Amino acid sequence: MLVMRHELLLVIITVILLLVEIFLPKDQKHKIILPAILLFTIVTILGFLPGITGELFGGMYVSTALTMTMKNILNIGTLIVFIQSVSWLKKEENKEKISEFYLLLLSTLIGMDYMISSGDFMMFYLGLELATIPIATLAAFERYREKSAEAGVKLIFTSALSSGILLYGISMIYGTTGSVYFTDVKAAFEATPLQILAFIFFFAGMAFKIAIVPFHLWIADVYEGAPINVTSYLSVISKGAAVFILMIILYTVFAKIAIIWRDVLYVTSIITMTVGNLFAIRQRNIKRFLAFSSIAQAGFILLGLIGQSQLGMTTVIYFVLIYIFSNLAAFGVAGIIANVTGKETIDDYDGFYRTNPLLSLTMMLALFSLAGIPPVAGFFGKFFLFAAAAQKGFYILVFIAVLNTIISLYYYLLVIKAMFLNTSDQPIGYFRSDNYTRIGLLLCVAGILVIGFASPVYEFILNLSYGLY
Amino acid sequence: MFEGIPLTWFLILATVMFFIGIYGFLVRKNLITILMSLELVLNSVNINFVAFNKLLYPQHLEGMFFTMFVVAVAAAEASVAIAIIINIYRRLTNIDVERVDEMKY
Amino acid sequence: MSAESLILFFIVGAFLVGIAILFSSYIPPKSTNPQKSETYECGIPTEGITWLQFNVGYYLFAIVFLVFDVETVFIFPWARVMKTAGTKGFVEIIIFFFVLGAGLLYAWKKGALKWE
Repeated sequence: MLVMRHELLLVIITVILLLVEIFLPKDQKHKIILPAILLFTIVTILGFLPGITGELFGGMYVSTALTMTMKNILNIGTLIVFIQSVSWLKKEENKEKISEFYLLLLSTLIGMDYMISSGDFMMFYLGLELATIPIATLAAFERYREKSAEAGVKLIFTSALSSGILLYGISMIYGTTGSVYFTDVKAAFEATPLQILAFIFFFAGMAFKIAIVPFHLWIADVYEGAPINVTSYLSVISKGAAVFILMIILYTVFAKIAIIWRDVLYVTSIITMTVGNLFAIRQRNIKRFLAFSSIAQAGFILLGLIGQSQLGMTTVIYFVLIYIFSNLAAFGVAGIIANVTGKETIDDYDGFYRTNPLLSLTMMLALFSLAGIPPVAGFFGKFFLFAAAAQKGFYILVFIAVLNTIISLYYYLLVIKAMFLNTSDQPIGYFRSDNYTRIGLLLCVAGILVIGFASPVYEFILNLSYGLY
Repeated sequence: MFEGIPLTWFLILATVMFFIGIYGFLVRKNLITILMSLELVLNSVNINFVAFNKLLYPQHLEGMFFTMFVVAVAAAEASVAIAIIINIYRRLTNIDVERVDEMKY
Repeated sequence: MSAESLILFFIVGAFLVGIAILFSSYIPPKSTNPQKSETYECGIPTEGITWLQFNVGYYLFAIVFLVFDVETVFIFPWARVMKTAGTKGFVEIIIFFFVLGAGLLYAWKKGALKWE
């Protein structure tokens, strides 16, 4: 039982919160916020205890030191989202749905944990669906806003179609190998044309979830329409979990057709980076802007996957960890501005430094980290990614990636310029953010500043990555 | 019951159903009809799994179990989608997909 | 049953049904009047349009029904092997029922089972 520690703890607190929600009188729903955050903090801390590795359910569930680290990373990110969303949940219109937010968010986290630990395609599919379906309801959370419902319906339809395509690929894999267990499939894999077709279907389905370019069209609309805290969860935790499991499956199940998926990743990586960056330049809404920036970041992540080495694996996990902190900081600042003033376009940020210097500095750090400017953690993440790809001889790819970094620098600096240099007749007035938001942003800033310089984090992940190879 | 029917026929049926579903998803304008097309896609996968299990690998029941889980998950997906569609209907008094276009590129 | 006999069955079936339809359209005497094509409802003239939309409340019930109905698919295999699965299987299905019950309780408490 202790092997499944992460999932069991999450299930237990989900059931506790559900029962509390059922039996709590209607006028006391807001009291659940602090206990929920404290319970989840305890779960996050317990997750760091040294765990037992092993298999359950005859190999359907596999827990290694690596998957445990991935789950801890996701837990930390979710904790920050929990803390950041308090100011939004306390608004009058959300008062009756507070515990639903926690319940749905925790369900998706359970799904992601099972997905990462899956040892066969059935567990993988169940985890994937459990991680996607509740997010659609979260995207449609603000029932009184048309945009929110639109985001929900776009998310549920695209994700359902993508899982249908993915399932079709899995059914072909089952038909050609006779098993759905990763180890058996790996042993029986022969790279026949039908299996390669199955891989293409599978990759298309996963590309929908990570938003790799030919399959990215849903992302900007969903990000813009969904409530901003849900968007931040969707952009970091969901994407991170999908990247982790894609990496595990590519490296284990599809190891025999590495030559083929390397080409696929090569092309999609270049398109994803370029399209994400070019579209980000012309966005005026901060949520759409961050949506396209996250597409571009997905392209950089593919750069690390392509190496198929221990270094590549380490850098991807490390990069996702840094990306979680940087993106959550950016979304945290954008979220508090949207919650207090309701303003969401970049033009509204003119002269923001004059009125709210601390929030502007936090935003600047986050955007520097996303762009990869030296003193902050994002630089190290990107540097290691490029090194991993260059080590395997993908020099042209690395060159294109560096060019893309320069483009991305341009549009990240546009936001910073708006905040620090532009002046405005009606700047956003001074406001005091509440304590929860401050704690959340402080955690993010600490992450951005510390992880870049703390080499033990990097070496820790590097040692774990031996396991899978 | 299935003796004499070659596997290819099942696979052709599943493939045709899959692409009819995809076609319906792309062409249809009513959100409920789009949902029905999605069910077609998932059910074509179920045919694939059951046919493979029955005709190629009858010693284990992995394909059958996979089908069961796909059915259950499809029901959950459909109920969430219908709930969101009802919400859209209440906002717009319409479930035409062309009208759900407040955000576009 | 082989594929050939199945095809034969289809052909014979289609032939018999087709013959019946042809007979019924050629043999009987024909008379038409406008009353014949009216919608029939208890013998009295119908009220309003028949293409009315369903009350949205049906959908809420349908959603709850859909979710709980499909769960049978997991209970049935357990019931089939209940004796060999033993105590462990029994405890697991009890947990399953508990989670389902919590979900139903939640829907009840939120008023999803009330007709408005």
